Amino acid sequence: MHSGGFSRRDMHRMARSAGSRNNARRSDLEMTTLEEVPETLQGQLEDLLESEEEIRVAISTDLQFNGTYGTDWVLATEKRLLAFNQNGAPTPEVRNIALEAIDQIEIRELHGNNYMKVRTSEGAFEVARYSKRFAPKFAEATPEIEALIDKIKPEEAETSKRHRKYVDAGKNKTRCETCGRPIPRWSDVCPNCVEKGKLLVRLLRYAIPFWKVSVPALLIMLVIRLVGVYPPILSKTLIDDILVPATMAVTGGQPVDSGAFGQLLTIVLMMVGAHVFTAVFSAVRGYMMTWVGQRITLTLRNDAFQHMSVLSLDFYQQRETGNLMSRITQDVGRLRDFIAEGLQDIIGDSMALVYMCIIMFVINWQLALWVLIPIPLIILFSFYFGHKMHKVFHVLWRRYAGISTILASTIPGIRVVKAFTREKYEVDRFQEQTYQVFDGEMNAAKLWTLYQPIMTFLTYIGTVLIWLVGGRQILNGELTLGEITLFMTYMTQFLQPVRTLAQMNRRFLRAATSAERVFEILDTAPSVASRKDAIDLPNMRGQVEFRDVFFSYDSEKNAINGVSFTTKPGEMIGLVGHSGAGKSTLINLVTRFYDPSEGEILIDGHDSRDIELRSLRGQIGVVLQDPFLFEGTIADNIGYGKPEATRQEIIAAAKAANAHDFIVKFPDGYDTTVGERGARVSGGERQRISIARAILKNPRILILDEATSSVDTETESRIQEALGRLIQGRTVFAIAHRLSTLKHANRLVVLKEGTVDEIGTHEELIAKGGTYANLCEKQTELSKIRAW
Amino acid sequence: MEQPIQIEDEVQFLDPERLKISRNQFAELEAELPDGSVHAPVEPVRTFPLTQPDQYISLLDAHKNELGLVEDINQLKEADRTILADELEKCYFMPKITKIHDLAGRFGVTEWDAETEVGSVSFDLRSRNDITSLDRGRILIRDIDGNRYEIVNYHKLDPKSITLLETQI
Repeated sequence: MHSGGFSRRDMHRMARSAGSRNNARRSDLEMTTLEEVPETLQGQLEDLLESEEEIRVAISTDLQFNGTYGTDWVLATEKRLLAFNQNGAPTPEVRNIALEAIDQIEIRELHGNNYMKVRTSEGAFEVARYSKRFAPKFAEATPEIEALIDKIKPEEAETSKRHRKYVDAGKNKTRCETCGRPIPRWSDVCPNCVEKGKLLVRLLRYAIPFWKVSVPALLIMLVIRLVGVYPPILSKTLIDDILVPATMAVTGGQPVDSGAFGQLLTIVLMMVGAHVFTAVFSAVRGYMMTWVGQRITLTLRNDAFQHMSVLSLDFYQQRETGNLMSRITQDVGRLRDFIAEGLQDIIGDSMALVYMCIIMFVINWQLALWVLIPIPLIILFSFYFGHKMHKVFHVLWRRYAGISTILASTIPGIRVVKAFTREKYEVDRFQEQTYQVFDGEMNAAKLWTLYQPIMTFLTYIGTVLIWLVGGRQILNGELTLGEITLFMTYMTQFLQPVRTLAQMNRRFLRAATSAERVFEILDTAPSVASRKDAIDLPNMRGQVEFRDVFFSYDSEKNAINGVSFTTKPGEMIGLVGHSGAGKSTLINLVTRFYDPSEGEILIDGHDSRDIELRSLRGQIGVVLQDPFLFEGTIADNIGYGKPEATRQEIIAAAKAANAHDFIVKFPDGYDTTVGERGARVSGGERQRISIARAILKNPRILILDEATSSVDTETESRIQEALGRLIQGRTVFAIAHRLSTLKHANRLVVLKEGTVDEIGTHEELIAKGGTYANLCEKQTELSKIRAW
Repeated sequence: MEQPIQIEDEVQFLDPERLKISRNQFAELEAELPDGSVHAPVEPVRTFPLTQPDQYISLLDAHKNELGLVEDINQLKEADRTILADELEKCYFMPKITKIHDLAGRFGVTEWDAETEVGSVSFDLRSRNDITSLDRGRILIRDIDGNRYEIVNYHKLDPKSITLLETQI
């Protein structure tokens, strides 16, 4: 299987694209998964199907029921479902189930494989077993089969339980949509499909504004490289025109030419001059290009962050923080390196090589060819060796990381280690790791200590070749001593630019991928944005109406499933329900972190999408369960939403939030820095600072998301008191698990699976004896325990 | 003074003699517990899937509540054992790799062509972190789609496979 014809990998790729091809052909009909059925099955099918029957869905598996890799088939026509299960037998066993008999199709998601199961009123049959690789395909095909069943039994279509959850295929993008290849974990874009040429052009656009600096810098470099090949020529002249004639004169007993020393001095001065020139202009050019590079970084980094701050929450939800951070820090840096240095290096190094080749070939083309012979050898060797070294050092690096891991877990955990007297175990573990590092270092040394001598030897071969061939030419009078010296020098100068150019491809690929990652940020359009004709709503009254609101985070399952209710201005609404019931989602919709997929949210009678985002969010205040404070002082944090606030206002807000008393006890008072994420103040203090922040903003709509769930009882009562002051005269949405927190609420909305289960005052709902009454009863029991 | 609890008493295993496991008409696992109650569908869960695959099997009901623990499936009556082992094999599919034909990487992604005990397979990894090395050369691999593979002891593979593998671990 492995060696013959198509590999399994090819077949997977074909299978993926085959589906879409067939879809295109059948675009007049419904889109279905229809793979090419092999000939062996075609024969069997003729006996099984009626004359007018047509195959509508055909999917293959990659596993068989006996747990071996292999292909089984599930087919569906308008009338029946057919399952072909090979199971190691010569002909597959066929299961023929009339669609009419099918109650439900189930997908069992297990570890490392899934099953498709068909349930009828009498029994159930497993019809397909497949690996996780095929899970998206089956998730797509299952509703297609269900649609066929619904056509036969339309009366059940509405009520049946056939519509259930499918594999979430879209959320984590693991494979490229274009080529089907895996996307590496460190990247979100497919490195294979990056259009390198286009990216390069786009990148260069960032360099264009600085052409007044970069073009002269490029010219300087070309001159530097030209001057750089000059000293060996001077040496040649020195030897051939001055030193050799002088030696000959001395050995022949003749007086040395009197002007010789003057010539010698001139050449030496020219040599010094060339080096000084190169040094000075290299420095100047280096400074210029650094400036260009840093300007590009500055623009790109600020553009990216500025655009990122405009993007909606869904963008952040789909990506890891670390990943986004590295785009702004590392990828931008890599781009700078490429635009500023990489491109110029290519030009400069190529030029240097061309200069040297021309000179060598002009002087003596035969010898020039000989000089070029060992170069590829040296390049190949250093590549091969570099590859090996990379592997060895990678292993070593991981072992060092192992040491850090042990230390990072043992040192903070030292109390546990001592309490359970596991010192010896930890020491042994550490020793084992350090021995591994020792082995790794010695392995690296084996390679490294070999590298230098071999490299020297290879270079030496080149030298020997020049001595041999060039020496013979000298004996024949075809070459001078100065020329052979020149060849020697050039041979050593040749290596460096060749190596740089050889690594260029790699550098270019990395830069292209980085560019794609940065441009992805710049090219994403925010999903929630103000409309062009959006209105300002400066004095909101705070009436919020939900009208048939539906919302889904991943277009798979609705988080909000048709919610309608209206709040009066100044009313406090308590949102109650299990986790996942949709409480936080509802709040995310009010703040327009997301927009509803269907229905609308009206604020004072205006569709929230018609209101200017700044105007809307400017009048909404939020207090979260784990409030986020920024690095800075307490005063900065309280004033975050109102930068022009006076000191007096800040103190007033802190007093209203019951925060003033603890703040003045800090030695630095309001100037106390809270540390990263507010780490230097306690949870309850953080909470009260965030309440002060919300009070100062004076919002019309206030959102309290579990504002008191993570503090002790006494702090809670202080926060409750502060909140009591904060909610007066505002429309409030409060989420709380502890129902006692909602005692101020005018009405309670009980959510269940994204819909409104109950709505009413505390007394009404208790009297009703439904979900809320039930919850209340349970919590009363709990609070008795807590009190005790 | 009261004695501290004996923690062994906290776990009661299902009596293998009085436990009945069968398969019902809906191809579901059905369990009759020693107390006479009958449950279906029952889902068996390995509590130590990597180190003790046949011991300490938890039986869950349809609401994922534990019905009880089977100490060792080999203590069960032969018929029951076969059914439970069969169901466990279904629930935990992790082929053992016996040979690596080819392993090529680019941009941190690696594409593997390998031989397992149940046939040849090719799969992709998104990063080296998807490979976990355990004690005594045991290696667990999780591919891009969530499939899992195991190498029992990589030192015992053929030299070519070892060379290929060592670039990754």
